[in-house]
Amino acid sequence: MIDRKKLVVSHAPFWHNGSSVAERHYNILFAAVPAAALGCFRYGIPAIGVVSFSIAFAIIWEWVMNLATRQAPTIGDGSAALTGLLLAMLLPATSPWWLVVVGTFLAIVIGKQIFGGIGSNPVNMVALTIAILSLSWQGHLDFNEALVNYDFGFPMVYPLAQLKHFGTAAIGSFSYMDLLLGRQIGGIGAPFGLALIVGGIYLILRGFIRWEIVISFLAGIFVTAMVFYGANAEKFADPLFHLLTGYTLMGAIFLATDDSSSPVGFIPMLIYGAVGGFMTVLIRNIGIWVDGVVLAILIANIVSPLLDKIRPKVMGEVS
Amino acid sequence: MALKTEIKIAYGVVIYFLFVGILSYTVFSADSPETPIRVMYKSATGKVLFDHKTHSGDTGYGLACKDCHHHPMEDDTDYRACGQCHIPGKAESLPKSCLECHDADEIEDTEMLNSGDAFHGQCIGCHQEFGRGPVDCAECHVK
Repeated sequence: MIDRKKLVVSHAPFWHNGSSVAERHYNILFAAVPAAALGCFRYGIPAIGVVSFSIAFAIIWEWVMNLATRQAPTIGDGSAALTGLLLAMLLPATSPWWLVVVGTFLAIVIGKQIFGGIGSNPVNMVALTIAILSLSWQGHLDFNEALVNYDFGFPMVYPLAQLKHFGTAAIGSFSYMDLLLGRQIGGIGAPFGLALIVGGIYLILRGFIRWEIVISFLAGIFVTAMVFYGANAEKFADPLFHLLTGYTLMGAIFLATDDSSSPVGFIPMLIYGAVGGFMTVLIRNIGIWVDGVVLAILIANIVSPLLDKIRPKVMGEVS
Repeated sequence: MALKTEIKIAYGVVIYFLFVGILSYTVFSADSPETPIRVMYKSATGKVLFDHKTHSGDTGYGLACKDCHHHPMEDDTDYRACGQCHIPGKAESLPKSCLECHDADEIEDTEMLNSGDAFHGQCIGCHQEFGRGPVDCAECHVK
């Protein structure tokens, strides 16, 4: 017997509230720009080059795929530009031009378009790209190696690399405030914790990303890191260090919250975020990789369709 | 109508950022500093990040250039990278750089430490002498 109540919707006329896919992407771009701008300000022309090429080529690859698949152009919806900007924010400022071109190709063509374009990507394309680039050109994604020619007056070593290679004794020179204010090396936009948090709060308040995913991802990292830290404080870093270093905040706010690769239900979102956070710390603490955020998000993305089966909500239901 | 405007904006964005990107990578690309700040040495046993500035600068350990760059002795302006003479994995060979100033028969002792031996001797020797700094493999080499 069909539950007829579930088929009832409000009657016409309907009023379009003006929201669109493009508006969503432009707002996320707006939220990401402060951290990217700080990165460009810090690293100068090389960072501007990476960001510019990344945005330009992401749109170009999207346009090429539009032509190849004979689809209406989707370059105006801001999705490709956003992908380009987020990718640039995770790359070192010294990334060569070809790495950016290959990276945007991986993100737009391999990560998104071959699955059917916007809304069809099973995993976050930026996380996928960083994972492939890290596997393929480890040296270019090693921040200690990539940024040897810079000196900003704070410890010029990648905090997570110090932790991984030399243990907790080597991270004593980093203060939480410094880490929060971006006084650490890393990607162009990823180290600027405060700017990312402000952007994230804006997106949550405007409803463009789900707080459930952001909070559960960060909580997953905090709780898991706390367990490790509680078990052996000399060997493992404390939870705050994990929250303020590497790709943590970029991942929580901009990567894990990707629409098509994350679940829609309340409980599934909480589990999804927690899986991402849990795996991040697991990879950092007992895996071989320095940072585990992108791989953890890819794993959570893969789990996402299964999580969506937990207490699914009927679409179109009027409460 | 709005869609067409957005596409036109996207074309504009591509042209603008492509132009800025090409300029950044070509005309305004940053040059490496004359004196290295940090150097990443690569070896089969893992990379070593050497903080050149901390070792050489007045605010660091204040080492003189000649404390490490022992040749040429007279010329204070022409310091070579260690690897130009101490070639990785090639002990007892005569590097081409020697022949820039010397004739082959002029050089009596052609034994040249390979880069691994030279660096290990230089770094560990100095650290042991001053009782500070890393001396164990894993304190410098990272995989």
